[in-house]
Amino acid sequence: MASFNARITMPAEAKAGEVVEVRVLVRHPMDRGGQVDAEGRVVPRKILNRLTVTYAGEPVFRYDMHTGVSANPFVSFTTRAIETGELSFEWREDGGATFTRTARLVVT
Amino acid sequence: MSSPISPACVHPEPALSRREVMAVGAAGLALGALPAPARAAAPPALAELVARITEGAVPERGRITFDIPQLVENGNSVDVAIQVESPMTDADHVRWIHIIAEKNPFPDVARFHLGPRSGRAEIRATLRLATSQKVAAIAALSGGGYVIADADIVVTLSACIDGG
Repeated sequence: MASFNARITMPAEAKAGEVVEVRVLVRHPMDRGGQVDAEGRVVPRKILNRLTVTYAGEPVFRYDMHTGVSANPFVSFTTRAIETGELSFEWREDGGATFTRTARLVVT
Repeated sequence: MSSPISPACVHPEPALSRREVMAVGAAGLALGALPAPARAAAPPALAELVARITEGAVPERGRITFDIPQLVENGNSVDVAIQVESPMTDADHVRWIHIIAEKNPFPDVARFHLGPRSGRAEIRATLRLATSQKVAAIAALSGGGYVIADADIVVTLSACIDGG
């Protein structure tokens, strides 16, 4: 995919100790393989198979995805606000491509 | 970009050809002797799938809420929400939550890895369901136990249009 479109929704700031919800929506066909396209060719499997989230360098969430995850996958999780820092999101796609995005959380 | 609904799904085992059916018929074999691909491809039961991921432990019911619509109009995108009652401390937290859809071609759907820093054991996601079936959410607790919740789901438009 030339362009990788991810929408990360979370509060920009939070009080220390507060639990914040992080919502992540990605545009991806999540081709599960074996389907036949309009030209009669078999589409190979190509899905995002993992999303790893680190917060100020510490891993806080991981989402292992298989073929049973919908196209344009959405996920929501929570994390405790501890310090001001970057949440870093890394997706891994079948074939080895990775995509990363970051979001900043200010802790007051 | 693929279309939301697949035009066709590949069957793991091809159906009998017309010629084979005729040959079987001509030989006068009883129905029970037919090589039945459907019978051979019986999917493993949910209990077996659960036992595989819990390493044989039988998960307890309760402490886990699995929110999934009973009736799904479109199996291509099914919203689910899972909550586990847990203080999410270093000593007592949910390690992961795993979703199994027993009749999906690949029953292991997703796994969410959590930890004490999650604050709450609460996730939401979107899944694909191939057909009407039982869907289960299993959570692994830091103490070594497991909890499970399941739901029978009716899917009116399956993610795989021919039910394969």
